[in-house]
Order: sequence, then structure tokens, then C-alpha cells
Amino acid sequence: MSRAGARFGAVALPLSGVAAVVVVWEVASRLAANATLVPPPLTVWRAFAAMQGSDLPADIGASLLHLAIGYGLGVGAGLALALVAASSRALEAIVDPFVEFLRPISPIAWIPLAILLFGVGRAVPVFLIFYASMFPIFVATLDGIRRVDARLIHAARSLGASRRLVVTRVVLPAALPSVIAGARLSLGVAWMSLVAGEIVGGDAGIGWRILWYQEFFQMDRVMAAILIVGVLGLGADLLLRALQHLARRWNPAAAESAA
Amino acid sequence: MTGGMTRPLSRRARVLLPLSVLLVVLASWEAAVQATRTQGLVPHPGGVLWSGAQLTANGVIFQAMSGSLARVLIGFLFGACVGIPLGLAVGAFGTLDRALRPVLDALRSIAPIAWIPMAILWLGVRGNAALFVVAYGAVFPFIVNSSQAVRQVDRRLLSAARALGAGRWVMLRSVLLPSALPMIFTGARIALAFAWASIIAAELAVGIKVAGHGRSVAGIGQLMVETLYVKRDVDALVFYMLVVGLVSFAIDAGLRRVQERLLPWKSH
Repeated sequence: MSRAGARFGAVALPLSGVAAVVVVWEVASRLAANATLVPPPLTVWRAFAAMQGSDLPADIGASLLHLAIGYGLGVGAGLALALVAASSRALEAIVDPFVEFLRPISPIAWIPLAILLFGVGRAVPVFLIFYASMFPIFVATLDGIRRVDARLIHAARSLGASRRLVVTRVVLPAALPSVIAGARLSLGVAWMSLVAGEIVGGDAGIGWRILWYQEFFQMDRVMAAILIVGVLGLGADLLLRALQHLARRWNPAAAESAA
Repeated sequence: MTGGMTRPLSRRARVLLPLSVLLVVLASWEAAVQATRTQGLVPHPGGVLWSGAQLTANGVIFQAMSGSLARVLIGFLFGACVGIPLGLAVGAFGTLDRALRPVLDALRSIAPIAWIPMAILWLGVRGNAALFVVAYGAVFPFIVNSSQAVRQVDRRLLSAARALGAGRWVMLRSVLLPSALPMIFTGARIALAFAWASIIAAELAVGIKVAGHGRSVAGIGQLMVETLYVKRDVDALVFYMLVVGLVSFAIDAGLRRVQERLLPWKSH
């Protein structure tokens, strides 16, 4: 393929995929012949445009706030726990079984208890996001630290580096790609938990708004909100994918093993 | 920090240390709840054990579990039937991959649970809406891993087989399948775990809609909603949570075992 052809393919092909979905959807809505059951693409687009002038910015803001607080706390806690577990075998022996016990309990299963403890409200999605994002980054970071080339550490130590210097200058930089890979996994589950938490136990945010529109049977708006959930989630993932790309240039070997 | 910097613990210490910490935590938790007389408001270990024993004895937990697991299995199989062929096609044909990738990525980023209002509208509250959510969640791990499985087949193996005169069938059976299957199976493991999480979410969301209509107990999610809003039993709620976690653990460990047994040559 020529260069112009390649560039054409890079733009035209994805567009044609999107166009195909819109066409299929249009056909489905014509077949169903019921704008509530399958709202036509144009109706959803109009709903989206109408939402922009009303609740949408506030809803997205609320969701992003949930995400920022919950994800920030969760990633912070996961990183701190991983550092603690990596610093001594005894602490690892204590932390690791607890993590392995809690990890299979999906954040979703916490929803009822979270509702009971915090009440329906913003604390429920924030707690779920916190819980969900803690584990992937813990596992990835610990794994990354364990994989740091022991020769690098020995070299630094024999050159007289203090323990702190070894951690900040050798271990953490070498483990960074794993940390970012973990952060990306964390963000994925955090996003799922955000939507579930807002739908089942929240009182603000884009997920909660989906159920709100359902109460008023505005299915075009429901559909628009669902698509917004997808686009926001994709945007967040692309952001971390770009970070991961940077990390790969930083430390190709570690990025390879973390991927 | 790693390797040579700390000495490994003995095996006994590795078991006894976390166990004793756990016992201390549980005992002080129980004591705190007893001392403040907050039983019923705050879950406590003794209460969780007690309601666990009751719910196991009267079979409530098994009934709910079989309803949920049946839906997970159907949704999982549906996900496999759609996801594997689609993933293989996307992996084999670069043009198709580039055309569909933005659409698939965007759809994948929609949390399955977000579809619940549409699913209820299309399929109704009684079980099928939850089924849709599960199938939706299970499709994507299959797509991602199947396409990856095709892409990472070693081209040199293919040319070697072709040079040695392998026909289409031999090629498929002896080269393509063995190198793609482990990755697809890993996709299945992720899909099943995801399906199990989605069913709980879907049943919770559906359960809240039908709670109080007297027909809400159909799966473990609905049971949790009923326990939360009707019975207000904290201890039972924690017991259900533990069971949900145990099932996830069993699913993952079980499938890992199967994978080692069936596809021992390569595991991801």
C-alpha cells in the first residue's frame, strides 16, 4: 500500500466501521418500528444534543469526581501496600493472603453492604472504585518490583547507595512500566464499578442518570447516556495507553514482561 | 527490597503469621461489636457464621446460586459463540480489524450493567435482562483473546509447515489450533470471571426494580437485594459476599486446572 493509501486506510476504515454500525442500527429501528424500543440514531443524536444544554455536563463532572477520588485513593493504597509488602518478607506474608482472599470478591458484591453502611449516595460509587482499583495495581507493582534485575540493585549497593537511594533511583524506575500497566488494569475495573455503583447505589453521575431517564421512559436519552459511558471509558483507557507507550520507551524489557 | 536484600521466611512462619494476624483481627472485631452492642447494624464474624450455617441448612443459598450459575453459563456460551468467530476473523484480516476496532473498543468500554434499562425493555425483568448483560460482558474477552491468538501464531511455523507440504487441514489441526488454543482458553477464563461479576450486578439492578413484588428471589443478586431492603440482615449480606467471592475463586482455580490438563504445552 502506498503512503497516501495507508493514511486513507487509517481514517476511512475506522469510519466505515462506525458507519456500518449506524446503518445496522437504523435498519433495526425501522424493523422494530418503535422509537421507544429501538430509538433511531438520529433521535439519539438529538437527545444527546438536548442533554448537552441541561444535565449532561454536571453528570459527567459528578462521575469524574467519583472516579478521581476513588481511583486516586485506590491506586494510592494499592501502591503503598505493594511497597510495604516488598519491603519485608514478614509483611508480605501478612498482606498477601488478605489481598488474595479479598481479590476474588468483586466490587459488585460489595454494593449491598456499601449501601447499608453508607446509604444510597456518592460514597457508594467512590468506595467501589477505591476497592476495585486497589488490587490490580497492587499485584502488578509487587510483581514489577520482584522482577527488578537483582544485579542492578547489587551494583547500586556496592557503589555505596543507601537503601532509600536504591528504592527511589533503581527499584521504582525499573518497576514503573509494571506500575502503569497495573494502573491501566485498575482503571478498567474502576470504570465498570463506577457505572454499577452509580446505577445501583448512587444519586449522581452519568450511570445514575441512565436510570433516571429510564424512570421517565426517555429511552433515546438512556441510549445516549449509555454511549457516553462507552466514549468516556474509552477516553480514559486511551490516556493510560499513551502513558504505557511512554513507559515502553523508558524501559522496553520491563514493559514487555508486564504486558 | 528484592532478591538478596531480605531473607525468605520459613514455611511455617508463612502460614502461622497471617493466620495469627487474621485471628487477632476477627477476635477484636467480634469483641468490639459485642462491647458496643451494635449487632444487626454492623456485621460481625459470629453472626456471619451463624447466618451462613442457617442459609446452608435450609438450602436458600443453593437455590439462588443455581439460578445465577445457569444464567452465567448460558451467557458465557453465547459470548463464546459470538466472540470466538468474530475475534478469529478480526485477528486474521487486518482490514476488518482496522474497520471494527474503534467500534469494538467503544462497545467494550460500556460497562455491561449500563445496558440494564434497554435489556429490561427488550427482554423483561425475569431473568432474561440479566442474561443479556452477562452475554454482553462475556463477548469481549473472547474477541480480544481470539484475535490476539491468531496474531501471535508464529509465521515461521506456518511457512515451515507449508514448505514441508502440509495441506490446509494439517495446517489448521497441527499448527494453527495448537498455538491459538491456549490464548483463547485464557480468554474463556477471563470471560467467565467477568460473566460472574456481571450477573451479580445485573441481578442487583433488576432486583431493586422488582423487590417487593414477591417474586424477587431468583438469583443470588436478587437475594442480596431482598436481604438488604426487606430483611435488613447485615450478617447474611456478608455471608453472600463471601460466597460470591468463593465462587469467583473456584471458577478461576478450576479453569486454570482444566487449562493445564487439556492444553499443557503453553499457558499464558
